[in-house]
Amino acid sequence: MNHFAIVTAFGQDRPGIVAALAEGLFQLGCNIEDTSSVQLRGEFTMMLLVRLPKGMAADQLADRLPPHISSLDLTVLCREVPAQAATRTAASDTPTYMLSVYGADHPGIVAKVARAVSDHHGNITVMNTRVIGSAVKPVYVMVLEIKLMDGASPEPLKQALDRLKPDLGVDLTFRKIESANL
Amino acid sequence: MAVRPILLYPDPILKTPAAPVGPGDSAITPIIQDMLDTLRASPGVALAATQIGCSVQIIAVDVSRKKGETGHGLVVLLNPRIRHQEQARIIREGCLSVPDYTGNVLRYERVVVEGLSPDGTPLTLTVSGFEALAFQHEVDHLDGLLFLDRIQSLDTDLFRRKSI
Repeated sequence: MNHFAIVTAFGQDRPGIVAALAEGLFQLGCNIEDTSSVQLRGEFTMMLLVRLPKGMAADQLADRLPPHISSLDLTVLCREVPAQAATRTAASDTPTYMLSVYGADHPGIVAKVARAVSDHHGNITVMNTRVIGSAVKPVYVMVLEIKLMDGASPEPLKQALDRLKPDLGVDLTFRKIESANL
Repeated sequence: MAVRPILLYPDPILKTPAAPVGPGDSAITPIIQDMLDTLRASPGVALAATQIGCSVQIIAVDVSRKKGETGHGLVVLLNPRIRHQEQARIIREGCLSVPDYTGNVLRYERVVVEGLSPDGTPLTLTVSGFEALAFQHEVDHLDGLLFLDRIQSLDTDLFRRKSI
């Protein structure tokens, strides 16, 4: 049976991080499967689902990987993922919605919005947030991709989000993402 | 006459440009029939000949198979070309030949497509919306291009709109 681990790594962005990490994983016999990586301001952050070589556990990878990337000053974490979770693919027929929320930046926007989504059977599958605007008038922008689970109707969530608008002082749009399956 | 399996990437035919066809060529009749049979049996709205393993420039598009769409109904085109395109948009696209994956690609809201009908009559169609996407996607197939070759942004395009 295959064993999988999630490796997360982050550090000050510079050219060569992906190359060094991928070489280290390759030399240790790991196969990189799904990944997601992004720059958060000056930090480069990575999440990699890797298939471990036979006989290697995730904590052994955590011990053996750092020497391969010591020059980069990355923070690295490894954790085993149950094979069942690692081999599951997303149901493509679940309706997908996009939620954009934006307004004057203040603490609590993500918490309140995410709670409303969760309370209405929404599963957040991708989340991006960014503070834009000027230093004196920062604007918070959050974009969520949401899958509605268990055949839930979008209307109750839409209404709950509309009720949040005046409380949070934000604008938002909640819309279905049509993907053209050709 | 036959429902054929829809080829999945990495079948090399999907990455090979297809050859033009002559409308008088009797070999294309059974290919078109198989394309229509396969399309009807599929969940999709359009098919390129390359997707059933025939490396020839034929597409079949019928967006009326999707609820709420009418367009031009069933259109079979030989040697199709996109002659004019306007109003760029980013759309999330998927493909029968690349299951379980979608990507945000740059397409055009309105395009003019030229080609030949199966009896050799020149056809020029102005198509828009979903039908325009379907024609652009299928013409790409004949050029050996998949939507994977056109991915424009990895997630939401909100932060990357400068590139459009």
